[in-house]
Amino acid sequence: MDGSGKDPRPGELRAARSWLARHGLGDTPPTPLLAARLAARWRARVVEQVLLALLIMTAAAVYAFGVLSGPGGSGPLVLLGGLVVALLAARWQVEAWVRRVDRRAGAALARRAAHPVQLGWRALLGRPHAACAAGIHAAALALAAGAFATGDTAVRRAAAVLLVALAGAAAAAVLQLRDLLRRPVVAEDEVSLTADVIMRIEDARESMSPGVVWSLPVILLLGPTFGWWSAVSVGLVPLGLAAVALVQLRAPSTAAMARRIVAP
Amino acid sequence: MIVIDAASPVPPFEQLRAQLAGRIQDRTLAVGARLPTIRRLAADLGLAVNTVGRAYRELEEAGLIETRGRAGSFVTAAGEQARERARQAAAAYAATVAALGLGADEALRIAEAALAAATHRPVADNPQRD
Repeated sequence: MDGSGKDPRPGELRAARSWLARHGLGDTPPTPLLAARLAARWRARVVEQVLLALLIMTAAAVYAFGVLSGPGGSGPLVLLGGLVVALLAARWQVEAWVRRVDRRAGAALARRAAHPVQLGWRALLGRPHAACAAGIHAAALALAAGAFATGDTAVRRAAAVLLVALAGAAAAAVLQLRDLLRRPVVAEDEVSLTADVIMRIEDARESMSPGVVWSLPVILLLGPTFGWWSAVSVGLVPLGLAAVALVQLRAPSTAAMARRIVAP
Repeated sequence: MIVIDAASPVPPFEQLRAQLAGRIQDRTLAVGARLPTIRRLAADLGLAVNTVGRAYRELEEAGLIETRGRAGSFVTAAGEQARERARQAAAAYAATVAALGLGADEALRIAEAALAAATHRPVADNPQRD
């Protein structure tokens, strides 16, 4: 049963079986608990992708509105700031719903398993993923700050919008990572504990994925005025892609990291 | 991994204390390892905060862990000294038993009963000693 008290759908069980097989746990049948938890996460991830898309579209709309309405006034930026806060609140609600599903699922277990040591962000995210996300974010922030220092009003306006949007994306990632570290474990044995850690690592990697961070500068700084900022914002895309590809190739898989945590 | 079985006759705090103590003494939990916070472990295991707090308190009294304020609870080096203390206590018990003229089987039964009482576990049947 899931958090709402319903039995999982056959499709959810099939998806859970496939997920287990992908992570080297194929000899374990999918439990209703796992199916419900995975289904909740997948739904939450779709909503979160929509929210990130809304952030990009809102930033672009605010920039365009600012260009059309002419120079002066901080109204569009205040509006963007408000929308970023609203998007963060919506994301928080989605995470709270996932936590509720987990809590209800855990309450039905006769046995509960947990880690005997405190898990930190290094265990969940790993240094390579953290360094990649932080590096790309720092590069985008440096680009925005550099563009903001130019004399061109249109570029300064775009850079201000970019700074607010980047701050929003960073806040969303940090808040989600903090939530993942605090979210209680829901497991009854070694397999479900391993699955719990894998889900957590996947969520952490997803939340720190820098796709939005390298997309925003291209949208906002590739405007009518071409300059070094335009070249750098375009260059950030292949650079970010290469960094992510390198990390994906070199970093251990989620299943390997989870096994190391559960059975050190 | 720590597992709490709600259907077990052993109280949850004792299940938790015994499992953590076992892992500290067999060195699965290394000296300096940081334990989860009481609130966090209570949420993970579906236990009351007081239950986990009691287990941590007993581990602290046994010298197996230490709490460093807000930094959390850590496995102490005393865990490695515990075996030596137990060995010394066993040697003193053996000397007492020898002085009283008790047999080895009876002395072992007394020790097992004391251990069972201390850890709330029933004495294991051992037909070879009857």
